[in-house]
Amino acid sequence: MSTEQFALDNVLLWLIGLPLVAAPLVYFAGRLFNLGRWAALGVIGLTWIPFVIAAQQVGTGSISLVVEGMTLRMDGISLVLAAIALSLGTLVVVYSNRYVAHEENEDKYYPMLVALIGVITGLGCATDLFNLWVWFEAMAISSYLLVAFYRDQPASLEAGLKYLVQSAVGSVLVLLGMALVLALTGTMNLAEIRAVAGQPATPGLPLLAAGALFVIGFGVKAALVPMHTWLPDAHSQAPSGISAMLSGVVIEAGLIALLRAVASLAGVTLSWGVLLMGFGALNMLAGNLLALRQKHVKRMLAFSSLSHMGYMLLGLGIAVYVGQSAAAAGSFFHLINHGLMKGLAFLAAGALLYVLFIKTGDHHSPLTISDLGGAARKYPIVALTLSIAALGLGGLPPFAGFMSKWQIFVAGFETQNIVIDLLVIFAALNSVLSLAYYAPIVNAVYRQEPSEAVTRGQALSWTMSLPLILLAVAIVILGLWPSLLAWLTGPAGTALVKAFGG
Amino acid sequence: MTTLQIAVIGVLGLIGIGLYGLLIARNLIKVIVALQVLVKGALLALVAAGLASGKLNLGQSLAVMVIVVDTVVAVIGLALALQVKRRMGTLDIKDLSTLKK
Repeated sequence: MSTEQFALDNVLLWLIGLPLVAAPLVYFAGRLFNLGRWAALGVIGLTWIPFVIAAQQVGTGSISLVVEGMTLRMDGISLVLAAIALSLGTLVVVYSNRYVAHEENEDKYYPMLVALIGVITGLGCATDLFNLWVWFEAMAISSYLLVAFYRDQPASLEAGLKYLVQSAVGSVLVLLGMALVLALTGTMNLAEIRAVAGQPATPGLPLLAAGALFVIGFGVKAALVPMHTWLPDAHSQAPSGISAMLSGVVIEAGLIALLRAVASLAGVTLSWGVLLMGFGALNMLAGNLLALRQKHVKRMLAFSSLSHMGYMLLGLGIAVYVGQSAAAAGSFFHLINHGLMKGLAFLAAGALLYVLFIKTGDHHSPLTISDLGGAARKYPIVALTLSIAALGLGGLPPFAGFMSKWQIFVAGFETQNIVIDLLVIFAALNSVLSLAYYAPIVNAVYRQEPSEAVTRGQALSWTMSLPLILLAVAIVILGLWPSLLAWLTGPAGTALVKAFGG
Repeated sequence: MTTLQIAVIGVLGLIGIGLYGLLIARNLIKVIVALQVLVKGALLALVAAGLASGKLNLGQSLAVMVIVVDTVVAVIGLALALQVKRRMGTLDIKDLSTLKK
């Protein structure tokens, strides 16, 4: 623990510290000078500099920062999380420029968003169970306020409260799990817990109970079925930029917290991999079936997040079970792609919600599929990007979603395990099933006559179109050249398998 | 009974009361109070775990941190409850389930 690790030239300090320290300043900039949106953009733009340097330094290893005996270490998994949080965050700030303009709480929106990005980066780097919990809770706190952003809307308050109560119960369960681990191992450091938990002298059953508490507690945030009931409300009632962040980054951060905590108990049992695969299958099926009957576009997208969480869990489960990093790399690739595609879908749906309803002063009406009718004639960019997102999420080539699902499936078949083969086939069938609710979006946008809402719709500003175009281009490029991100997903997959001791 | 046994009984009691409160309370304020009771159970569990493993200072410092974080959550919960009362004129959670579909 040398003092020189805590130096101002440590890039990790800047990467995590900059957004956190700047968040209050962004608030004052917004409050006093009405410059919050530009201050937020500036801060996030600056955060890219330490990110790029950190990405080069991490490579296939890790970098660490020691503050008063507390270690933050950035490895491949943290880098994936930081990358998606930062890229989606940047675009959401640009997008929200117009979306939340003139709202009552605009000055509080940007600092929360900036803090959320910093906190998620920090969460990926935690090496201590308690530290992990604090980051996790900080992420929850900043997202509660963002979900309940429209505080004069009863629906938005309801969603915020549901989210708060369920997350708080989840975090109590995590605390109880931590207490069990502390009582039995006498440490909170993940690596030390791992060492102690593997010894035969350590009682296994209570640690297994602690693991179960972690799975349930963190699983609330990661939206594992059946702990998902807050998700459709929170994702559909939040401002669309925040829906994109929640669905594209926050639930994934919950998943990574879950993996970190459970990996420390890897020595206790048979296989966490089986559990992950089981939840994966459940999430896919439940998510798809629930999404099928939704009429509201944002609610449907929220439910489809469940099924995408399922694909990721399946890949991670396979990787943990057989100790093969290709499936994990595929899962992390899907994590990034899901962030981009679901982010784009929420932003594009939100753009239509904004020009059709919110801009005319109607915060009440949800965007239904029939409202999308004929949107392509009036809003060609939104229609095209929304279709790309929907088809990508459905797993059609040449979009990114196809490539990452493909990697997971191939890695699954390579295990030569009959149960895993069946699960992969199940996932592929689910992917086909999901087209049943993605395709009607494309159909409505292009083939139907303009709906009443569309004919009354207002003009769309370029600050909202720009993030949509960038995301759509990224999805197509990643779909055509998936190896572009191999430098990011490969080390993450290896790090995961190493953490579980494969 | 040893101190540890008493603490474990306390933890189970608090968790039980908290969960029961969460399940039956219809008033939003009561829901938040029940959450608080639940968190207090977890606090006691952390301190007891410190005692059991001989790392009392670690357990206590964790508990202090939990108090800080938990206060923020309670404040946000109460702020949302206040808005609900202002905008909807009720605190009954039965009136707060319009999103179910």
